[in-house]
Amino acid sequence: MATSDEQAQNDQQDMKDEQQAHKDEEQAEKEYADFEARVKRTIYIDHLSPLVTSQVIKASLAQCANVVSTDFIQNYTIQYEIPAAALVEVDNESQARAAVDLMNNFPFMIGGMPRPVRAVFAKPEMFSDRPRKPGLKIEFSWVKQGDPGYDGMNKLKGLMRRQEAENMALIKNQLEEEKELAVQQQETLEANSNKYGMLENLMNNGDITKLAQHYKVKLGDD
Amino acid sequence: MGESNENIQFSWGNKRAKGGAKMDTQFYGSFTFDNVKYSLYDCVYLFKNGEPEPYIGKIVKIWQQNEAKKVKILWFFTPDEIRNYLEGPVVENEIFLASGDGTGLADINPLESIAGKCTVVCISKDERNRQPTPKEQTVADYIFYRFFDVGNCTLSEQVPEKIVGLEVNVLLNPEAEQVICYPDQDVQGMNQKVGAGLVAPLPQSAAKMEDEIPVAPFLQSTAKMEDEIPVAAVPLSQSVAIFLPPSVKEEDKAQVATVPLPLAVEEDVLKPTQKVFKRTQSTQKVFSDKMPSKKLKLSQDLTTKNMPSKKLKPSQDLTTQNMASVPDVKVRPVPSAELPTRQADRSKWFKPMPWDEKLPLADKEGKLVYIQNLDIRFGASEIVELIREALQLSCTAKPINHPTYDDPNNGKAYVVFKSRSAADEAVMKINSGLVVGGRPLYCSKGLLKVPKPASGALVGHLTISNQKMNPRQREEQKKAVSTSHCSQPNTIEYDLALDWMLVREKQAMKFSILHKRHAGERKSFAAKMAK
Repeated sequence: MATSDEQAQNDQQDMKDEQQAHKDEEQAEKEYADFEARVKRTIYIDHLSPLVTSQVIKASLAQCANVVSTDFIQNYTIQYEIPAAALVEVDNESQARAAVDLMNNFPFMIGGMPRPVRAVFAKPEMFSDRPRKPGLKIEFSWVKQGDPGYDGMNKLKGLMRRQEAENMALIKNQLEEEKELAVQQQETLEANSNKYGMLENLMNNGDITKLAQHYKVKLGDD
Repeated sequence: MGESNENIQFSWGNKRAKGGAKMDTQFYGSFTFDNVKYSLYDCVYLFKNGEPEPYIGKIVKIWQQNEAKKVKILWFFTPDEIRNYLEGPVVENEIFLASGDGTGLADINPLESIAGKCTVVCISKDERNRQPTPKEQTVADYIFYRFFDVGNCTLSEQVPEKIVGLEVNVLLNPEAEQVICYPDQDVQGMNQKVGAGLVAPLPQSAAKMEDEIPVAPFLQSTAKMEDEIPVAAVPLSQSVAIFLPPSVKEEDKAQVATVPLPLAVEEDVLKPTQKVFKRTQSTQKVFSDKMPSKKLKLSQDLTTKNMPSKKLKPSQDLTTQNMASVPDVKVRPVPSAELPTRQADRSKWFKPMPWDEKLPLADKEGKLVYIQNLDIRFGASEIVELIREALQLSCTAKPINHPTYDDPNNGKAYVVFKSRSAADEAVMKINSGLVVGGRPLYCSKGLLKVPKPASGALVGHLTISNQKMNPRQREEQKKAVSTSHCSQPNTIEYDLALDWMLVREKQAMKFSILHKRHAGERKSFAAKMAK
């Protein structure tokens, strides 16, 4: 049996351990607080071209923010070809706000025209490396065949699957919509380009003065 | 926590002092968990923070406070973990006990994170250390004689006075010999056979030894073998039984060299012994088949490491290792690959494989599971904990929801298990009816098919196919790909961009309507179920 001296020593050690256990908890909280701070100074950019690299993003944001890191989001779940997206961490929250404002108030184009990128403030769920959220309880139960909730559970699973299919259908629909718009714009652009080409031709080969004379229109300042 | 935890057996052992600031902490000297008794200073395997490989540590304190059972674990390091600070060769199965002061020395863990017992023997020549018997060394999963100071990152053979405030002698080999007992009748029966087979070669090797050991008793015991088998009474672990006949056990301290090498039998050809030898071999095979079931709780890798089949084949190596002083024999070179500079956080000493490499690999090996309908707030560590508590399986996890496109009502993750069978079991069990916070999970095996990231331009990034464009203009257009700008209202692209922004807003609205509706459907369903 421990003598009183040893006991005192043990107690001291125990106190230390207790403190450490407390510290561990604190550390988890601190880790999450750090993470939340990181979330606040991170923006999420999507509708990015797959050709865009982290250097391009850094350069494009240089006017309003200093990019610390860029993390491209990998597509693991969507069975269609989707635009690239990235989490971009900048120096601080005000830079993040400036960048989001800039990209939302104006059509901001990176690595191609005319489709602009979109930026929003990042959310914790966007980070696949997010640390444990303190206080988030994990409660689970097993439902077996014959249990009262079993049929309900299976129905619920059916509902989830239907929702998932609906979501996928909406994505497909939207991607098609985008394609349509792109085709339509390409046509507009080419028509415009032809028009300007024609005008340029008229100016260059002197047809314009003949036409002006014909319609008795004064050209320019002279 | 979970209901399934109820069926894991647990009971406290002897009580020790009460303590803590409010005297609300009860300390214990031992406990029984899942029918295994653990005492203070036992070495154990632990799963921690989603690390795929279990850690090895020594229990230095056990207590309960506010219903939470905690253990304080003094860590062992594997050679890989401290690769940068290692000099010279590493003995086979060598690990290093943490010492000094600093991060990585010891941590407090939930008692439930203990995964199983681990046998670690100290082979330090220090006088405070009771020298291990050869048998102990053979049984040992790991050995140690060096200490890694976590404060100044140095390795030392010098046994420190104290570690984590404890006199070092309690951390070395315990006074009593470690005997690992597997209460498995079959194994006992096996031991008998093996014992009978192996004692036979002994007289030869013993005969070769001129000093001290009397030959007679051995012959005697051999003679007695058929009716009264000593080994049956001694609960040895399988691997011991194979290498050390019971008679040797009694002579432990005298001469280790009596351990019979199966090869020796082949040299001095004796008809009866040869037969016996063959028998031994077949028994060995039986053992290597049987073995994994014993250590199911450990990770696969570890099981393989511990499987006798691996140790058995180079049996000569192993036996020699027992005889000579350890540092001189059977060394394996330290991989010279450099790790980045050391960091205090233990988990960062490993360099994990990047996920995009890990996933296809795990998929090919059939260890990858895709879980759906998780709480979107669950990160990797929550998922790992869930799997550990619900299924008692260890894994690594990655939440994979796409921020733009995936429905936030439906959290998705990839989970990589230790083995194909663990993955199959998990899929079966989860789909049979695991409900987490009101969400029934569902899962499938393998990687989802998604298109590779496109290498071309984004839909909606247009080019003008103008033949008349001069080379300089074309050059400028090419360059434009890597530039960015805010479009001004007096340009064509501004108009076109507004179209995109309109579409974008419409899309965001559609997503948000759909996802809100989904959330509403879930809620009303839950309400209906509750009635």
